[in-house]
Amino acid sequence: MSAPSLAPFILKRPWLQKWVTPLAKWYANAAGYRQLGLKADDLIPEENDTVLLALKRLPPNEAYDRVFRLRRAFQCSMSHSLLPKTEWTKPEEDTPYLSEVITEIETEMKEREDLESMVLQKRAKNAGH
Amino acid sequence: MLSRTTACRGVQRAARTSAIRPVQRRGLAAPASGSFQYQSGDAKGVKFASRDFAGPTTTLALVSKSGTRYQALPGLAEALQNFAFRSTDRRSTLRIVREAELLGAELNSYHTRENLVLEAKFLRDDLPYFVELFGELAASTKYQPHVYTEEVLPLIHFAHQRFLANPTEMAVQSAHALAFHRGLGTPTASASTTPYTKYLDPEAIEWYSKIAYAKSNIAVVANGAEHSELSKWVNEFFDGVPSAPIEQVKTGTEQTTYFGGEERISHDRANAFVLAFPGSSSFTGKFYKPEIAVLGSLLGGQSSIKWSPGFSLLGNAKASPNTKVSTTSAIYSDAGLLYTTITGEASNVAKTAKSTVEVIQKIASGKITKDDITKAKAAAKFKELEFGQDVKAGLLLTGDGLVNNNQAYQIDEVAQKIDGVTEEQVKAAAKSLLENKATVSAVGDLFRLPYASELGLNV
Repeated sequence: MSAPSLAPFILKRPWLQKWVTPLAKWYANAAGYRQLGLKADDLIPEENDTVLLALKRLPPNEAYDRVFRLRRAFQCSMSHSLLPKTEWTKPEEDTPYLSEVITEIETEMKEREDLESMVLQKRAKNAGH
Repeated sequence: MLSRTTACRGVQRAARTSAIRPVQRRGLAAPASGSFQYQSGDAKGVKFASRDFAGPTTTLALVSKSGTRYQALPGLAEALQNFAFRSTDRRSTLRIVREAELLGAELNSYHTRENLVLEAKFLRDDLPYFVELFGELAASTKYQPHVYTEEVLPLIHFAHQRFLANPTEMAVQSAHALAFHRGLGTPTASASTTPYTKYLDPEAIEWYSKIAYAKSNIAVVANGAEHSELSKWVNEFFDGVPSAPIEQVKTGTEQTTYFGGEERISHDRANAFVLAFPGSSSFTGKFYKPEIAVLGSLLGGQSSIKWSPGFSLLGNAKASPNTKVSTTSAIYSDAGLLYTTITGEASNVAKTAKSTVEVIQKIASGKITKDDITKAKAAAKFKELEFGQDVKAGLLLTGDGLVNNNQAYQIDEVAQKIDGVTEEQVKAAAKSLLENKATVSAVGDLFRLPYASELGLNV
């Protein structure tokens, strides 16, 4: 599920973006998941239909990598350790691989709801039929 | 008792109306009947044809020369068929479906040995919408991996199961494979003999779509649309379609040759026996032989009249009333197959197969009445005209003719050709069947079903 985000609002305003970007970078590093080798999208709660479907739609290699990252992170967490610095997730590797699929599914569902609640108006030409 | 005035009122009324309004509709077989002929044209490289059949509905078809014959890898044609009407760059699957429902339309896609057909039936006013939709489907369908695994693949598996449960279909497919080997012989169904999903993946399907939907490989055919209208909209909406195939694929393009042979497949559900011989190509092709159609209806097997076995020779020769016999003249762009399908109880099927060969020998040796040939000619002509009048078949044949031979399938002319068939031609055709190698395929109880050599055929 995609959470409400300020990002589009900020990205539209370059002056604000200049201000917030360093803050965001600092926050992402401070959050600590990169030190466990995770990506931000690995942290999305998966206990709902949308995300489960999105996970099913991942290409096989990405699904495998995700499981690998999660298991490695569990190991680290249990042994109370961090990965060696070379294996930390680099900021450029931290890509939204799952949220893209999630937004796609959400637009699909929204479209379905919209079509379901649509109000019909007959064309004047066909009104007689 | 009916009073005289009551009994005659209908007649009187009919007489009155016909006196007021002269008969407007011409007979279908009339040579100059305008509405029966397809008008063809070319819009920026896309071939199209239409006939303005009076009526409030239109049937529009996009015929693509990409049936199983032309597929580069097994299963591509079927996968592409199942990818029809899925999400495009502009609208989703759901939107296409809902919009079509709102317009009261019917969408359909199917493939034959030579063609892949996308078909829509709708109210006449909606022509622009559907031409646009077809242009969009051909140009910008998204071949997404999850759509393939979630929606397309299950359909292919279902088709495979349906095929395995149908001995008649298996026998016909096997006969085609024996007769033509590769190309035309490629099974249209997901047959058990081919690894039917091994070569499939979304990228391969997308690649094939760039070949199948190239301008040189498609034709747009409409039934019940004004030619000028269709021309205008095809001109407008087919810009996004690739003008040439992404890659020249040679599969299936070589001239088909006939091989023949025998195959026996055991099946525990029912029995089917197919006897096949080289036939005639379609009217638009180079090897058109009208006498094969007449021979086909002379052999026949299925009665067109209730409560009677019919005039056809096999209809009278079959071993029991429960045995089903039918003779089909399958026509393709450059070859054809005349085949008799026999289904029913195993021993009856065996007996009927034996008498089928005897009947063909009888025709070849000329022991056949003129009367029968006249009946067969009439039946063949009727069947051809009725087939042409049937919108679906007409669209398919016309599209096929346009793509392959740049010529629409004109039914009137076919009917004339059949009229011109002589008795000698039919006998000569029967003789040539026996001289050639036959194709025999038996599916079912192999203990009872005969071998070709037992029937006196050479394979």
